[in-house]
Amino acid sequence: MSVAREEHNFEPLIVAFCCNWCSYAGGDLAGTSRMSYPPNARVIRVPCSSRVSPNFILRAFQRGADGVLVAGCHPGDCHYITGNYHARRRLSILRRFLGFMGVEPERFEVHWISASEGGKFAEVMTEMPEKIRALGPNRKLRDAR
Amino acid sequence: MKKVQKEKLEDLFERLAGDGVLYLPLEEDGVVNFAPWKKGARVNLEALNTVLPPKRAIFPQTETYMRFETDGKKLQIEQVEPVEGNYFLFGVRPCDMAGIKVLDKVFLDEPEDDIYSRRRQAGTILSLGCNDPHVSCFCSAFDLEPGFAPDADVALWDVGEVLLWKPLSEKGEKLTSSVEDLLEDASAEEERAAEEQRNSAAATVAAAAREHGWNVEGVEEALQDMFEAELWDKLYRRCLGCGICTYICPTCHCFDVEDFGKWQEGERFRCWDSCMFEEFTLHASGENPRPTQKERVRQRFMHKLCYYPSNFEGLYACVGCGRCVRQCPVSIDITQVIKEVGGVKSGS
Amino acid sequence: MKNLQDTIREIAAQSLARGEVELVIGWEKGDLWWQSYPAFIEEEKEADRLIWDPLCVPNLSRYLLQELSEMDEKKIALFVKGCDALAFNQLLQDNRTVRERVVLYGIPCDGLVDPSKLEREGLDRDLQEVERDGEELVLKAAAGEEKRVPAKDYLYDKCLTCRYPNPVAYDQMLGETVPVEPEERFTGVRKLEELDYEDRFSYWAEQFSRCIRCFACRNVCPACSCIKCVFDLQEPRWLGKATEPSENAFYHIIRAYHVAGRCVDCGECSRVCPVDIPLQELNRKIILDINELYGEYDAGVDPEQEAPLITYKTDDPAAFTES
Repeated sequence: MSVAREEHNFEPLIVAFCCNWCSYAGGDLAGTSRMSYPPNARVIRVPCSSRVSPNFILRAFQRGADGVLVAGCHPGDCHYITGNYHARRRLSILRRFLGFMGVEPERFEVHWISASEGGKFAEVMTEMPEKIRALGPNRKLRDAR
Repeated sequence: MKKVQKEKLEDLFERLAGDGVLYLPLEEDGVVNFAPWKKGARVNLEALNTVLPPKRAIFPQTETYMRFETDGKKLQIEQVEPVEGNYFLFGVRPCDMAGIKVLDKVFLDEPEDDIYSRRRQAGTILSLGCNDPHVSCFCSAFDLEPGFAPDADVALWDVGEVLLWKPLSEKGEKLTSSVEDLLEDASAEEERAAEEQRNSAAATVAAAAREHGWNVEGVEEALQDMFEAELWDKLYRRCLGCGICTYICPTCHCFDVEDFGKWQEGERFRCWDSCMFEEFTLHASGENPRPTQKERVRQRFMHKLCYYPSNFEGLYACVGCGRCVRQCPVSIDITQVIKEVGGVKSGS
Repeated sequence: MKNLQDTIREIAAQSLARGEVELVIGWEKGDLWWQSYPAFIEEEKEADRLIWDPLCVPNLSRYLLQELSEMDEKKIALFVKGCDALAFNQLLQDNRTVRERVVLYGIPCDGLVDPSKLEREGLDRDLQEVERDGEELVLKAAAGEEKRVPAKDYLYDKCLTCRYPNPVAYDQMLGETVPVEPEERFTGVRKLEELDYEDRFSYWAEQFSRCIRCFACRNVCPACSCIKCVFDLQEPRWLGKATEPSENAFYHIIRAYHVAGRCVDCGECSRVCPVDIPLQELNRKIILDINELYGEYDAGVDPEQEAPLITYKTDDPAAFTES
């Protein structure tokens, strides 16, 4: 955390994996509704939140992400019927496991954002960088080369 | 012969560390490995073999030797110098010293490996004779003496309160004179004690070799005709295909070259590789000339006991340290192979 | 113990002689006292090579991956301790073995000896043979000397916490079932959970810094049965070969996570690690969380039960707001 104070103008870099059917569309809605939110996240569109392999999440941290977000349809609304139910279990276990490895859980968030929730998308995109700003840059898991 | 009081070792370490990096067996979480000494480190000179051999100091597991960067259409390549400066390897066991000699043949023969050669030259090796060999020690099978490493720069013997100190090379003489004030002359009695320990250690290992039939004579020749032998069909079956035996081996020296790339920059490094892995011989086409673990296990023993000695005047690429014998999770044991090959030979 | 060994030999010889199986996998003895390793017996007369002693630790079930695929319709007999049987069931559940082609002989196991614990106290001097006699170990030295020590002090840690010493899958059980008295297995995990994030990160960073990427922990694991492992892929190259802290962490996190819900807690990963990284604690953390969030589950006990991470309930809890 002291790293944060050393580094001025720290802008958290967030990699956001957004489900094509809900959260990515929610992002579109936020855009077309002209809602504003900070530009910290780099959005990667995935077919489903259950597509997000732990490899993706760790690779994001390795290559410099300060936080990783996975966003998908609300449970019950999955385009593939059950994808996000599976993701809920898997990512819950992963989130606790990353915590066990010493990575602050705030750096890895999962949110359910539907296509009609442009407001929620903007809200998550606003709040997450703030939480991570308080934690400072991520050095854990990052490839220092 | 000189000696250094054990209570003065801390001073000696401090002095050496001031003149370079001092690698010696340090204990961490119960694991003893060669690592750079720092004040307060837990030195363990009693441990017979460190888990990993000291070859790491000369031939690190991962070593970057080139960096590259692109800027538009320009490509910049920069060679990374191997870490320069002195280092000391303190407490190297005679088998491990012999292991370094095996690496030397590979890397210092023409064409010389520049990275290895520079690092090798920068180091001074202080070997420590073994007083009490383990049941898995079989250095004597390769005509090595557990109590003495003739190729080291300084030979040390632990005789209770003191370490006896004998310079063996020019580097060793130089080092000796630079720490003269910490050394004393050894008494004839102490020298005799060291001599006795040397002899008894050698006798222990030799007796074990006799008992277990660890005789490498003729093994190289016998193996020449054993590429298709039944032995390999039996041996590989329990192999898990992990790389423990190769990575903890003081003579294994195979490496791979890989790039690590980011957006516009990257580096090229070499790192240990293991013939136990499927990837080791996997061709870009998908073809693998060693398709199963059988060929891989055969390769390991063939390389150590046949190909290497054929290339280097009969010198075996095994020094009998016993690490693989102790660490293999399914007890694949090179001494059993030696015995069996010897047996096959004398039987046929 | 001698009795069980005789039974093992007898049964192996019989099933080979009768043609019930073509291969028997058991354990045999090497030259040195701790060497009890997998034996592959294909002929009746070889059955006398088989042994049983408190050092028969290698898990034999994993060999089915290699032996069954190479042998078409042939049948294999396997001796299974408690942990081996769990491993077998896991392979079954993962569709990596065929029940009908395997004959399981169950061995109730009262714990196996950790050679390093004997060595630590110098008890390995001149040791020739280790036998189990009730609550004691009989250490037989070269000169015919015998020493008796309490067995419990020298068993693998993983055996002290073993909850299934009696095989859960078998066609025939050899010997009497042993009492089940496991010590608490999550003590290590809970201790680590007490540390703050920084300290926990440093703890694991230090442990992983010793990793030499020999892949023994993966290769010994009965849940790691993928035909092509993600770590061996050239494209995409998820794991580079450099022993960088970041790459090492990636390896260990993904290894443990890939067996989530399938790890039978046999502890072989910790046993084989040459640099003593406490790998079992990683798997146990995941087991603990699965139990807490999605209900108690013991992988390998019932191959018909669905593994927790390939199923769901609509009202599952999530752990996305905890910090």
